[in-house]
Amino acid sequence: MYFVDPALLTPSWGCEQQSSVNTMFDPNLLSTDMQQWLLNYTEKLRAHSAQPSHDELFGKDLRLRAQWQPVLEELSQLGPDALQLRCDEAQNLLHENGVTFNTYEDDPGQMRAWQLDCLPFVISTEEWENLEKGLIQRSRLLEALVEDLYDQRQVLTQGLLPAELVFTHPSFLFPAADSTPPAERPMVIFHGIDLVRTAKGDWQVMGDWTQSPSGTGYALENRITLARALPNLYREAPLKRLAGFLQAQHRCLASLASAHREQPNIVLLSPGPGSPGYFEHAWLANYMNFSLVEGADLVVRDGQVSMRTLGGLKQVDVIVRQINDPWCDPLELRGDSLLGVPGLMQAARNGEVEIANALGSGILEHPALAAFLPQLCEFLLGETLQLPGRATLWCGKTEALETLRSQPDAWILRNVRQPGLVRPETLSDQEAQDYWQAVEAQPYLYVAQARVEAATTPVFNRRTGEFDAETVNLRFFSLVEPDDLRKAAHERQYRIMPGGLAWVGEPGTALMASQIVKDIWVMAPVPQPHISLLRQAHGPIVVTRDGNDLPCRVADSLFWMGRYGERLDIRSRLLRETFARLLQEDQTETEARLIPDLFTALELGLPSAEQMEQVHTEPSGRRHKQEYILLRNQLLELFDEHQTDGMPWLFSHFLRNCRAVRDHLGDDAWRTVNTLRQIFNDMPRTQGAVGAQRHLENVVTDLAAFFGLCNETMPHHYGWRFLDLGRFIERTLCTLELLKLALLTAQRPGIPLWEVVLATTDNFTVYRRRYRSQLHPLAILDLLLFDETNPRSVGYMLKRLGRQIERLPHPDATPYRNQETRLVIQATSALHLVDINQLTDLERSEEARNALSQLIDQILDPLSELSNAISHSHFSHVEAPRQLVTMQNHV
Amino acid sequence: MKYLLRHTTRYDYSSAVTLSHNEARLLPRVLPWQEICNTQLEISPSPIRLRERADFFGNRVCYFSLQELHSSLEVTAESEITTSARPLPSQEQDMPWEMASAQTREGLQLDQDGLAARLMLLDSDFIQHHPLLAEFALESFQPGRSLVESIHCLNQRIFNEFTYDPEHTTIATPILDVLASRRGVCQDFAHLSIGCLRSLGLAARYVSGYMETLPPPGQPKLQGADATHAWLAVYLPNWGWLEIDPTNGCLPDERYIILGWGRDFADVTPLKGVMNGGGNDLLSVAVDVTPLPLPKAPTVNTLTQSQSQSQTL
Repeated sequence: MYFVDPALLTPSWGCEQQSSVNTMFDPNLLSTDMQQWLLNYTEKLRAHSAQPSHDELFGKDLRLRAQWQPVLEELSQLGPDALQLRCDEAQNLLHENGVTFNTYEDDPGQMRAWQLDCLPFVISTEEWENLEKGLIQRSRLLEALVEDLYDQRQVLTQGLLPAELVFTHPSFLFPAADSTPPAERPMVIFHGIDLVRTAKGDWQVMGDWTQSPSGTGYALENRITLARALPNLYREAPLKRLAGFLQAQHRCLASLASAHREQPNIVLLSPGPGSPGYFEHAWLANYMNFSLVEGADLVVRDGQVSMRTLGGLKQVDVIVRQINDPWCDPLELRGDSLLGVPGLMQAARNGEVEIANALGSGILEHPALAAFLPQLCEFLLGETLQLPGRATLWCGKTEALETLRSQPDAWILRNVRQPGLVRPETLSDQEAQDYWQAVEAQPYLYVAQARVEAATTPVFNRRTGEFDAETVNLRFFSLVEPDDLRKAAHERQYRIMPGGLAWVGEPGTALMASQIVKDIWVMAPVPQPHISLLRQAHGPIVVTRDGNDLPCRVADSLFWMGRYGERLDIRSRLLRETFARLLQEDQTETEARLIPDLFTALELGLPSAEQMEQVHTEPSGRRHKQEYILLRNQLLELFDEHQTDGMPWLFSHFLRNCRAVRDHLGDDAWRTVNTLRQIFNDMPRTQGAVGAQRHLENVVTDLAAFFGLCNETMPHHYGWRFLDLGRFIERTLCTLELLKLALLTAQRPGIPLWEVVLATTDNFTVYRRRYRSQLHPLAILDLLLFDETNPRSVGYMLKRLGRQIERLPHPDATPYRNQETRLVIQATSALHLVDINQLTDLERSEEARNALSQLIDQILDPLSELSNAISHSHFSHVEAPRQLVTMQNHV
Repeated sequence: MKYLLRHTTRYDYSSAVTLSHNEARLLPRVLPWQEICNTQLEISPSPIRLRERADFFGNRVCYFSLQELHSSLEVTAESEITTSARPLPSQEQDMPWEMASAQTREGLQLDQDGLAARLMLLDSDFIQHHPLLAEFALESFQPGRSLVESIHCLNQRIFNEFTYDPEHTTIATPILDVLASRRGVCQDFAHLSIGCLRSLGLAARYVSGYMETLPPPGQPKLQGADATHAWLAVYLPNWGWLEIDPTNGCLPDERYIILGWGRDFADVTPLKGVMNGGGNDLLSVAVDVTPLPLPKAPTVNTLTQSQSQSQTL
């Protein structure tokens, strides 16, 4: 047994003595709370497994591992309550920054952020030195392997690796294995390696990420968050810093294109906001100052890859791709890909663009390679493999298949062409039969991986305030030394990020499937200089990368973010007013009610005649109550997630566009988006009118905060102009519709309705201050239509639209006015040329009403067209590229 | 034999194409029994980039991109080809088919042919092995029978038992449908034979190319009347690839011109592309395999189209 009886503990705390630093770690110096935690933890360890098993905190004979000393001392000083608070603080920080990784983020109901454990995973200096060597060797080995596979293929002809294993993997790209001479640069620039510590205490590699290893952004975000939540601990602990690694990564990518030019244009190619890793893509693009692009933003012309921007095409030198191999080029790879860029492979082949990691490097992620790496390491490097992999069977080998059949439940199965794992014991008889038949038919597609017993590590449980013993997975990252890019393979050095990402779960759990993540701390012998990680990450609130090179898609998204946001704002106000009237209205004066008109404004149907009929059969005392409930429920329908043009629907469109421009929004602006998300999360359908009103108030103020922050912090450049155009087109259209309703088409026009219009357009206060007296239609018209000093008037808005359009880029310079300008002039002239005297007696004169109706339409029509015109001139209209039909006649 | 090969592919689009990236596998391979000279590839409108390389299988592939607004694309490949007799395996090089299957699968030290054969054992997008295919093939592949004899037998059976029917199939007729209906075109018969062989553990690859056709007796040969053709080749361990043509029930000879080969049709698509714009593509193909007198060939310039720019590779 490893563990001593708890009764014996207090006097005999042990500690490992470090060879270099001769400090004893005496647990008795820790607070009594901490001692109690540790004691409870040892009990949990005992409960966790009957067999002696490795634990990260306690070594043999219950000795505390020395590397934990600084962490435990600091936490001990904090005390349990403060620790709890700090953990909550860390959680809030993560949440506010929108650190999320789930696929269904657009769906407000599915929002989920992970939890960051305030206990890091601590690795001692000595242990790190060994681990680092093993990780570096692995990167060298995989690079040697992938270079051989796409060139000489000696490992196949020499029988070290079965051809079927390689040729059937979706990431072995035949078009990359052609006659083109191999590039002089390594194919794998960065490499992610998943490890676990086994119950015996050895490191074991669980898998490799060689296409676009994710997690460096998360690792850094965790480090920043923890440093903010536990500043003393972070400052005092002698741990290795991460910032240098990302700087080296940037240098490495920049020097990939050194042959092209000095200031290369580096872009990060993402599958888009729908992909699970999009948060990290935006984060990295922002941190590294790359343009975040999607496939449709790029085009291959004149052999080069270019980015579509407002100012025309801008050449791209380096692509950091976050798209998997088969989807990168619909010409040479999967033809059904909408994520890729046609012609990309050819551009890369010609050296016109550098892709990191190179296309085809995903073959190294083949899980069955683990079974062959020891021999491959001997053959390719002449060395013994240092870090053992997970026991693995490749079913293409008869002996392996027999082993698997004799003890199927000891293995976890996967098909290399499909996602997901299969645990044989969970299959029904029929499923098992089908599965084995499939294995039988194409055994080379199947891989069996041994189940791994992992070591335990302490995790702080925020609920119970105790340390739990959990198993974790770890991811480390390696990088080619930037200066060694052009060196021969055997001279290349690699560096490992001194830290990484750990997540709680059974060995082999996917990162995205985990709930709790941990920062990994590699202890240094002496305190490390503080590199300005925080200052860089939390620098200027909004990225200043803007201007002519703004990708068209970003302009497009900003425009629609503005339109949806504004629409959400106006409808929230209108709905808020409607709820207010519903609650206020004198329930006996049915005739004077505004509700029908407000429902029209909200484009809602009134309860059906039958429903009303039923209400009227009720005794009069309950009648109004019933009617109220009927109307209220009708309004609450707008909170239904599936209601088109309902509040959640509008919000999800707003959010989708926000996410697509995540790297252009400041952290503070983004925080308000997250607050809004929270409001929509908490907006259940069945709430009462009062609750609904409160939610809507919050939506209105948070939206105002959001747009305010955008105005304050976005450079007033093209991007901001498109946002503004979107907002003001939407606002003008909505204002005009409201005016039309209030003054012309309402069933019950009059003061109560005009009040609503003033409140909805946020003009109520201005009006009262200016006129004080009774509401009059002409005064309303002046305030809302003509008064150009009132930012809520149509006149002001048209002026603003005109000014913004004037300052947009016009790549095809002609002496004539473009369509957008003409449309704004058309609307403005209608307003300017109208004879006010015609409109004086709206309440009584049919003529005046006709004149107003005509005027409103004369403004509405060109403005409705304006949106299309802007979109036509400035946004990329890339239809999905089509495949040539290839039907041919044959003999 | 000596031929002038001319293969024109034309697409007419209903609306203009603004940008397209293409790959043409239209230039015949150079082989010990197939000499290629005076190759020309004419592309109209003229491409911005034109790059030739050899793909994974060693086929000649030309990448090109078009950037000017166009509503039609015409690609003409032209070559003079001199063919000679293909080598055939001797009796000593033959072996029982089961042995061939075992050697193909289990060879550890491989030459490039052996490595290629390992790939040609595997299922591909259009060809998946199946017990029904094996069952059909086993009638020809009796236990212990020689590989070459068995292959000839399968070749003949498909020729005799299947009906050539150009109306019947689409581009991707599943091979089990071909087996059931006993109808198809050359591509289907090639896919079916490959499926049969792979189902028995033998390596087979798809070959695309042309063959010289003769007009009906007494009639002149029509322009553009020839067509592309497809057949297959089977791997004989320690010897190489033996071609068979199940559509005609014969072994390809000097009248056959090889364009390229791959796992199935998809690997040797003559012309593929991805474009922006276009729609309702109208495709027309004209192939002429014109015999030339040996040994001296006429000059080619008489055949060059006036409008299109010609590119020599």
